[in-house]
Amino acid sequence: MDSKPHGPPKWAQRLLVGFLREELAEEVQGDLEEKFFKVLHKRSPLRAKMNYWYQVFHYLRPFAFRSTLFQPSIYPDMYKNYVKVAWRNISRNKIYATIKIGGFAIGIAACLLIGLFIKDELSYDKHYPKANRIYRLINSSSDPEDPMSWTAFAAPIAKVAMQDFPEIENVGRLIPFDWYDAGANQFKPLKSDKDIYEEGFVYADQAFIDILELPMVYGTSSEALIQTRSMVISQRKAEKYFPGKNPIGELVVLNGNVENPYIIGGVMENFPTNSHLQYDFLLTLTGVEFWPGEQNSWCCSNYNPYVLVKEGADMELLEEKVQRIKTEYIVPFYQKREDPTADYIAQYQNIKLQAVGDIYLHSDGFMEAEKYSDINYVWLFGTIALFILLLACINFINLSTAKSANRAKEVGLRKVIGSNRKNLVRQFLTESLLFSTLSVGLGLLIANFALPFFNSLAGKSLELPLFEWWLFPTLLLTIGIIGILAGIYPAFYLSGFKPIQVLKGELRKGSKGSWFQNSLVVFQFTTSVILIIGAFIVHRQMQFILDKKLGYDKDQVLMIQGTNTLGEKILAFQESLKQLSDVGEVSSSNYFPVSGTKRDMNQWWKEGKTTIDKGVGAQSWNVDPNYISTLGMKMLKGRTFSLEMASDTAAIIINQAMAEELAFDGIDPLGQIITNDFQPPFRIIGVMEDFHFASMKGEIKPLCLRMGIGGSITAAKLSTPDVQKAIRSISEVWDEYMPHQSFRYTFLDERYAAMYDDVKRAEKVFATFALVAVIIACLGLFALVTYMAEQRRKEISIRKILGATVQQLFALMTSNFLKLVGISLALAVPIGYFLMNGWLEDFAYRIPISWEVFLYAGLIILLIALATMSYEALRVARLDPVQSLQDE
Amino acid sequence: MKETGLGDFEEVIMLVVGILGEEAYALKVAEEFSEQTGRKVSIGAVHSTMSRLEKKGFLNSEMGTPSPERGGRRKRIYSITASGHRALELSRNLKLALWNQFPGFAADKVNFGFAV
Repeated sequence: MDSKPHGPPKWAQRLLVGFLREELAEEVQGDLEEKFFKVLHKRSPLRAKMNYWYQVFHYLRPFAFRSTLFQPSIYPDMYKNYVKVAWRNISRNKIYATIKIGGFAIGIAACLLIGLFIKDELSYDKHYPKANRIYRLINSSSDPEDPMSWTAFAAPIAKVAMQDFPEIENVGRLIPFDWYDAGANQFKPLKSDKDIYEEGFVYADQAFIDILELPMVYGTSSEALIQTRSMVISQRKAEKYFPGKNPIGELVVLNGNVENPYIIGGVMENFPTNSHLQYDFLLTLTGVEFWPGEQNSWCCSNYNPYVLVKEGADMELLEEKVQRIKTEYIVPFYQKREDPTADYIAQYQNIKLQAVGDIYLHSDGFMEAEKYSDINYVWLFGTIALFILLLACINFINLSTAKSANRAKEVGLRKVIGSNRKNLVRQFLTESLLFSTLSVGLGLLIANFALPFFNSLAGKSLELPLFEWWLFPTLLLTIGIIGILAGIYPAFYLSGFKPIQVLKGELRKGSKGSWFQNSLVVFQFTTSVILIIGAFIVHRQMQFILDKKLGYDKDQVLMIQGTNTLGEKILAFQESLKQLSDVGEVSSSNYFPVSGTKRDMNQWWKEGKTTIDKGVGAQSWNVDPNYISTLGMKMLKGRTFSLEMASDTAAIIINQAMAEELAFDGIDPLGQIITNDFQPPFRIIGVMEDFHFASMKGEIKPLCLRMGIGGSITAAKLSTPDVQKAIRSISEVWDEYMPHQSFRYTFLDERYAAMYDDVKRAEKVFATFALVAVIIACLGLFALVTYMAEQRRKEISIRKILGATVQQLFALMTSNFLKLVGISLALAVPIGYFLMNGWLEDFAYRIPISWEVFLYAGLIILLIALATMSYEALRVARLDPVQSLQDE
Repeated sequence: MKETGLGDFEEVIMLVVGILGEEAYALKVAEEFSEQTGRKVSIGAVHSTMSRLEKKGFLNSEMGTPSPERGGRRKRIYSITASGHRALELSRNLKLALWNQFPGFAADKVNFGFAV
C-alpha cells in the first residue's frame, strides 16, 4: 500500500466536475469529500473510494446537470465546413488520401470476410427446434498415456438410456461410418438398370428423426423409418431419381442386391449447410441385427447415440448418473469374459454429454467418422482479423500525425478566431469519420470481389449478406467505432498545438517522428513478420508431410472405386488389368492408408493371454496377397500371403509397432499365435515395416493384415509416366466388365494430400493474411517516407549542394525506418518461434524450426521495406536542388 | 381536501431539515435520514429533493462558512420557509383528521408524539 494520504478517486472527481452545474460544484464537492473522509475513518480506503463513486453516480440527475451538457455547442454549419476542409485535404493530397482510405478499406474488407466466416462457424446446429435439449453421448478416456474421446457405443445403449434415466426423453442412434450399407453405395431405383455411385448413407433410428424433428417434404416424420428396410432420402436425391413425383413406397436397390431392396419411407429436406450432419440417405435401424445377438451385446461399439433430455433436467446430475451405463453394463460385460480390459475401463473411461451445438466446433481429435471444424480456427481467424484491423487503424493514426505539420497552421488560425479544443477534436473526428465511411464503402466493394477467393480459402460458400436487416446498422456501428478509434489520437494531438507557436512557425517538423509513431510502425512490421514466419513454417511442415517416406509408395497408384460390385469377377478383372502394358501390380481391398477408406479396430492378445494381458488395440485390415507389393511396403521378416497356401486364411502379418506392443520379449514373433477373441487364432507369418496410415499428428499405431480377396477399391500401380493413356486403357477394361456402372477413380497421392487439407488451409490463411498485413504496413511506410521526403526537401537540396552523394542522402532518409524494421524483426522472431512451436507440437512427425526460416522472413521484410522506400527516397535524392530551393 | 404538494419522501426530508436546524446541509440530512428511517439514501438523491423543494418555495438555502474537513469549501444550509411550515402542518392535520375517523383508532388513543 502506498504511503501518500488517501484522497477521493481522481476519475470520479473528474467525472463529477464534467457534468455538474458550476454553481453546485463547491457544495457538492465539499459534501462528497466530507463523506469520503468519514468513511475512510470508519471503514477502509477501498470502501471510501467505492462510496465516492457511488455518490458521484447518484448525482447523475437532471437537476445537477450543467445546462450546456446536452446542447450542441456547435452549429451545423461548422460541420459543413469541417467536411469541406476534409474534402479539400483529400483532393489536395491524392496519393496520401488513397493510401489512407485504401489501406483502411483492405483492413475492413479482411475483417468483414472473417466476421462472416466466424458468424457462419458459430451458427452450426442451432436450427433444431429443441436444439438446447439435444445432446450426444460420448466416451472419453482419462488415461494420461493415451487420452482420447470417441463417439461410438454398443447397440443396447438406446434401450438402457431410455429405461434407466427418467431425465432422458428419447434416444436415437446413428451409424455414420462405412459399415454394411452405411457409407457409399451403388444406388438405383429398382426399375432402373443403371447403378449410380452415391455417398452419404447412414443408419438411423426412427427416434433420431424424432429428436432432431427433421422437416419432411413427403411423408410424416414420425413414421418415416418405422418399417423394416425403409429409408429416408433427401430432397435433392428425390429430385434426381424421382423428378416431379412423390417417391414414397418406391423400391430402391443398393449394390445390385435386388433380392433385398429398400423402400422409401419419406423425403426429408436437405440438411442445411450449417449442420454437422450432411447425409442424403437415412437407412432404418428398425429390425436390423447385423449378426445374431448383436442388438443385445455390449461387445462392439458402432452407434452414436443422440439424446433428448426433458425440460429442466439437471445436466450435471445427469452426467454423473450416466456413468452407471459404464458401471452396470460395460464393465460387467468385460468382467464376465474375465477380460482385464474391464479394470482399464472402470478406471479411465467416462461417459459425457456433448450439446448438439458443440459438436461442430468442439470435437477436434475425437475418434469418429466425420471431421468437423475446430474452435481454434475461429480463434486464429478472429485474432488475425483483429490484428489486420489494428494495422489499418495504425496507418490512419500514423499518417494523420505525420501530416500534422501541414495542418498546424490551420489549427492555429482556427484557435485564434475562437475555436476551442473541443471544436477542433470534433473537427478531426468528423474528418476521420468521413475517411472511415469512404473506407467501409470501398471495403465492402473489395470484400465483394475477394469473396470467391476467401471462400476457397476458408472452405465455405459464404455470401455477402447485402439484404439482411442487420448489415446496415452493423456497418454504421463499424464506421463509428473505427472512425473514432483511429481518429481519437490524431484529434487530440492536432488540437493540442499552441497557436502562437505554430503561427510563428516554431513547430518542429520532426524527421524522426515521435516515439508513439515509431512504436506503431514497429507493431505493424512485427505483426507482418510473425505472419510471414507462420506462413513459412506451415508451408515447410506441409512439404515435409508430402515428401516424407511413408513406408509405402503413394505415387502412380490409381484407385478404382466401387469394385465390390464385381463380386466373383474380381480376380478375372485383376488379371485383365495386369495384362495391360501400362499396369504393374494390382490389389483389391477396402482398406488403404488414406482417410475415407475402411477401418477396423480389434483387440489382440497372444494366445492364452486373453484373461491376463490388457490386449493390444490394432487396426485389422483384410488385404489380398498383392497388397504389399502393389503399395511398395517392406517386409522386415517372414513372407507375405500366398493364394497357394491353404493355411494362409489363418495367417497374419503385423507391423513393427504391433510387434513391440505385443511384447514378445526377444522371442521371434514369426510363428507365434495371436487371437482377437471372436475369430479362430492367427499365426504370424511376417513382420512389416511401419507405414503411415493415419494422420501425422499421432505416432504410428499397431496394425495387422489378414488375407481377404476383393474389396471396394482396386489399386493399380502404373508402370508408365503417360497416366492419361493408362487411364484410357483401364477404363476400357472396366467397361467390358461393368457396362452399367461408371468408371470412377482417384489417385493415392491425391487422397493422401487431401488428408492434410487443414494444414494446406492454414498455410493459405497465413500466406494470404501475411500478404495483406505486409501490404498495409508498406502502404503506411510509403506514405511516411513520402511525407518525410517532402518535409526535408530543402534540407536535402542543401546537403546535395554541399556535396552529399545520392547514396548518402538515400541512407539519411531510410536508415531510421530500417532501424524500426530491425527492431520489429528482433521482436517477431521469438514470438513467431513460440507460436509456431506450439502449432507444431500437434504433430508427432514434424520439422525442426531452423534459423533459415527467420533469415528468409527477415530478408523478405527488409527487401520489401527498402523497395517501398526506394522509389520516393531516390526520387527526392536525385531532384535538382535548384528547383527545390528557388521558391524561397 | 387540500393538496399540500408534498410527497412522502419530501415530507420526511423537510422534517429532518427542521430537526437539524443550522446543520441542515445535504450530507447531514442524508445521514440523519438514514439514521431515523433505517433506509440508505445517497447524497445526490437528498440534494435533488431539497433543490426541488426549494423551487416549490418550501425550503430556503444559503451558503455557510467554509470548513477544513471539506477542503475549505462552503456548505449550503437549508431552512424551512413559512410556506414550508404551512405545508407540513397541513399534511399533519390532514393525516390526524383521517386517523381520527379510522375505526378502532379513536381520537383520544392516537398519539403521534408531535410536539407542536
